Amino acid sequence: MRHSTYAVSGMACGHCAGFVTEEIERLAGVTAVVVDVEGGTVTVTSDRDLDMADVRTAVEEAGYELTAPHES
Amino acid sequence: MRPLNDTDPRQFIADFFTSFTDELLRSDEDPGLIVDRYHTPDIVQFADGNRMDRDKLIAHTRPVRKNRPSSRMEVHEAVANGDRIAARCTLHVQDRKRSLAIEVYFFGQFMADGRMRRGHTLTRTLPADLSAAPAQSVPGTPERQEASA
Repeated sequence: MRHSTYAVSGMACGHCAGFVTEEIERLAGVTAVVVDVEGGTVTVTSDRDLDMADVRTAVEEAGYELTAPHES
Repeated sequence: MRPLNDTDPRQFIADFFTSFTDELLRSDEDPGLIVDRYHTPDIVQFADGNRMDRDKLIAHTRPVRKNRPSSRMEVHEAVANGDRIAARCTLHVQDRKRSLAIEVYFFGQFMADGRMRRGHTLTRTLPADLSAAPAQSVPGTPERQEASA
């Protein structure tokens, strides 16, 4: 299992967290998504390496902005 | 934006949220300027326990503009005491992907000119079968006040 944390801006509440989670969960290999709204981070657990561009596209599809990979 | 003292609290809350969202969606103006027209510089909101200051509020305008929801704020009841308002509302939202209804319990403090200084919001998403139906009224409360953007 791989865990990656990303910085995402614009999230304000549990509904924002739900929208971001919904999009990232569509990516192949993703097994869990944990959002920290107040910290502005999203931690993704996957069974394979994820392409950063795919994660960025998913976050932007939800309407939010991936500002940086927080840590990997 | 109307001053709080001259307005029925139900109308004030409906107009505040509708007008703020409307300005964000109907112009390309710097979101910071729009946020500042509706909030004091030291604004702090807690949305379901998540703290949001001016910078976070401005950042949150990006998804609003990107998703471009149509929304309708249905205010079931509201009471004012001085510069504070408590309200129970249902926010009906429809964007390019989803349609949902969110019940909102709001406590806020406003300046005399109508800008929000403090806001505490608790929400719950209504089940689909309830979101399509009119929200249940509380005996003894006035009729709902609605506004849409």
